[in-house]
Amino acid sequence: MLSQRLIARTVARPAFVPSSLPRIVPSTSRWSRMYASAAEEKDLVIIGGGVAGYVAAIKAGQEGMKVTCIEKRGTLGGTCLNVGCIPSKSLLNNSHLYHQILHDSKHRGIEVGDVKLNLKQLMKAKEQSVSGLTKGVEFLFKKNGVEYIKGAGAFQDEHTIKVQLNDGGETSVKGKNILIATGSEATPFPGLEIDEQRVITSTGAIALEKVPEKMVVIGGGIIGLEMASVWSRLGSQVTVVEFLDQIGGPGMDTEIAKSAQKILKKQGIIFKTGTKVVSGDKTGELVKLEVDSAKGGKPETIEADVVLVAIGRRPYTGGLGLENIGLELDERGRVIIDSEYRTKIPHIRCVGDVTFGPMLAHKAEEEAVAVVEYIKKGYGHVNYGCIPSVMYTFPEVAWVGQSEQDLKKAGIKYRVGTFPFSANSRAKTNLDTDGMVKMLADPETDRLLGVHIIGPNAGEMIAEGTLALEYGASSEDIARTCHAHPTLAEAFKEAAMATYAKAIHF
Amino acid sequence: MASIAAAACRASLRLARNQLNRDATARAFRTSAAALAAQNFTMPALSPTMTEGNIAKWQVKEGEKFSAGDVLLEIETDKATMDVEAQEDGILMKITQGDGTKAIKVGTRIAVIAEEGDDISALEIPADETPQPKSAAEPAKPEQPSTPVAESQPSAPTSDTPKAAPKSHGRGPKRVFPPLPSVLHLLKENGLNESAISDITPTGPNGRILKGDVLAFLGKINAKTPSEVSTRFENASHLDLSNIKVAKAPEPKKAEKVAAPVPEKPKISTVEVSVSVSAVSAVQKTLEKKLGFELPFASFVYRAADLANERLPRAKATPDRLFNELLGVEKESDYFSRGAYLPDVGTLRSISSPPAAPKARPAKRSDIIDLLSAPSKRAAKPSAPAEIISGPATTFSLTVPSAEAERASLFLHRMKVILEEEPDKLVL
Repeated sequence: MLSQRLIARTVARPAFVPSSLPRIVPSTSRWSRMYASAAEEKDLVIIGGGVAGYVAAIKAGQEGMKVTCIEKRGTLGGTCLNVGCIPSKSLLNNSHLYHQILHDSKHRGIEVGDVKLNLKQLMKAKEQSVSGLTKGVEFLFKKNGVEYIKGAGAFQDEHTIKVQLNDGGETSVKGKNILIATGSEATPFPGLEIDEQRVITSTGAIALEKVPEKMVVIGGGIIGLEMASVWSRLGSQVTVVEFLDQIGGPGMDTEIAKSAQKILKKQGIIFKTGTKVVSGDKTGELVKLEVDSAKGGKPETIEADVVLVAIGRRPYTGGLGLENIGLELDERGRVIIDSEYRTKIPHIRCVGDVTFGPMLAHKAEEEAVAVVEYIKKGYGHVNYGCIPSVMYTFPEVAWVGQSEQDLKKAGIKYRVGTFPFSANSRAKTNLDTDGMVKMLADPETDRLLGVHIIGPNAGEMIAEGTLALEYGASSEDIARTCHAHPTLAEAFKEAAMATYAKAIHF
Repeated sequence: MASIAAAACRASLRLARNQLNRDATARAFRTSAAALAAQNFTMPALSPTMTEGNIAKWQVKEGEKFSAGDVLLEIETDKATMDVEAQEDGILMKITQGDGTKAIKVGTRIAVIAEEGDDISALEIPADETPQPKSAAEPAKPEQPSTPVAESQPSAPTSDTPKAAPKSHGRGPKRVFPPLPSVLHLLKENGLNESAISDITPTGPNGRILKGDVLAFLGKINAKTPSEVSTRFENASHLDLSNIKVAKAPEPKKAEKVAAPVPEKPKISTVEVSVSVSAVSAVQKTLEKKLGFELPFASFVYRAADLANERLPRAKATPDRLFNELLGVEKESDYFSRGAYLPDVGTLRSISSPPAAPKARPAKRSDIIDLLSAPSKRAAKPSAPAEIISGPATTFSLTVPSAEAERASLFLHRMKVILEEEPDKLVL
């Protein structure tokens, strides 16, 4: 066998001319990473490899542009893939499973023996999901010819980005167009230093090494409630302190938010709404928080092993050297842009969390595609009136369009239709009947104005609402569209029926 | 766009017949087979290489109907005679190239076909078109002309001709989409024909007619409401970039530079294996005796390296492999690849050295700077083994990045096995 193969090859290459033989390989490229030489000008240089940056890079690659993406984290995908959406969804899903086995399986007819939590394994499962996805993005870069520089980029001048390489050293890239996509960071709480051990942000909350006995979450928005859910399910006693009177943040419909609070309270989360944190002290064994009723009540001290600061996120432009090119930020630190994502220097554009609009990964992704289309084709499109939001607690909460309080405030008339999951056959068989679908439509034209869902699978179901809204559908259009039986989506259809006429099953 | 007009004419015929309100312009943009009433049927390419063919026999006569899958005709090529099947139902309107016609280029019109149910007496025969080169790339698929030239109005007018062109409403030509379920329902409920759609002012996204537009048209709601609602949506669809308050001049930046991590130099390893060359010398001697010439030791090395390089495990997971692993696909090429190593061979002890004392001598370490800066120098290296005649033992070494050490080491051990155990097979 050995010799057979050899003969075949020797025939093809009869003379053993040394020069025609492979050298002792490693060519220089294997030895030293090759970076773009400063002389070469790229069509597009992107600072930030998060959702906005990497999507723009891939899109630009697909459009045939020479593109470089600079990211200092060491892995692509930004906050979303590394320390945000993705890892938290892993923890939410698995902690829900654990919680369900522990508390919910018996009456379904499944009796399990000793149920144990292996936090290490839970975290490992999370890390596997994350590393798989970030590597996937890196692959997509290679596939689409995107040059990827690991380092921190800063403006040297209007066309040049200087990069402090993660591996040491420095390089610079020139671009005809430059895209700022540096994202956001958790807003710190004044007076409480973040150490990611006892005073944590969402980044620390997805990597705790043990389940804290007591946890306080400052901020009852989506991030706070998701993390509160994870650790409460795993055994912490969690208290959520929210300054506003409603949880879920300002976008969530008040009726839905109240319903969510009630359900989460039943799951064991303690809520203190309309309450502000006055000060914090982490010198002792436990972190102490002084809280006060926002409307002036009696002060109170809460103690916790871990305090999660989830009061929002702020644009991140640190070390970007915007001062070198005279770019201004607005009072909330956002990069100022026009409707085509241009800064005041026309070839420098900006998308994602670091500029205006909701701080959502899918919004950044839409903008990333649009901005590349603006550069390449002169027109791009993002419909900001049609961006869905999802909170992945159990049950999930999802919405798109306007909320009832928005409409009231704007003095717009509306019609409401709701349908509870308790009247939905699939929800009944699943024994997950908490929640409802709520639709808001124009009373005259019946055009859909907003959809709000709390219930199992709300995050998937909202896609239908988004599509309907994008196409200008009326609630009747949804009601006249066939939905499979038995599905949770039937509740969506029935809510539409309830909006323009009457629901059949309620 | 002359084709739009032509398509509209043809489409109107079909509209009358089918009572289907489809957008005339949309039809002209279609590229799929469901297209126009009368179409040229061109010589199909039955194989990727076919350029011309002969018509052996038409199986369907002029004026006859056929169904999808029926054999229309037989075509002879230089290779074989093949049946051409109909892709869709239709009528063979006219045969332009009869039985026995020879050497018809692919893409040339051979017949005119109409859709099933078409009144062929009312249809004009479309002009013949120059063969399009791309048709050759579509094997066995009758060419459907996508841009027919203008055609005169059908000679036999049909009973109720629907509107010829959509009305304009000041927003440019109105685009008619398939009506929304609510729109259709309202129209029927109020005894309106679908043609009434052309009189309704659309306020939906991209000129779509919404339920509210019909309600306003019917006078059931305030006529202005739909456009008011639309304006609200329009406003909400943009980022609110009004009232931007520019932050005050940035405070003097604190010099909080993160210390750059210590530069990491590419790590390099040297892998060595001691190889006894006595087996090779034996073969060399045998060869010299039998054939009268001496095969240099270098030849053995090259041939052994050739073999040893085969299917070496990859040093590092490639992005493709990672992606395939993510998707649960396994590919041989993700895990193994052909190496391109050639070992540095250490100087041999002279032939007189006692064979009983094979001693490993580390080869001269190759300098990384040489490797990096002067790849041309490397060219000289492979010639080194050529000077060595033979000897009892030598050291093969490779200098590679650390990550590849294992791969390189496997290569060297394969070399050792081949040269020590079966060098004869390298030359036989």
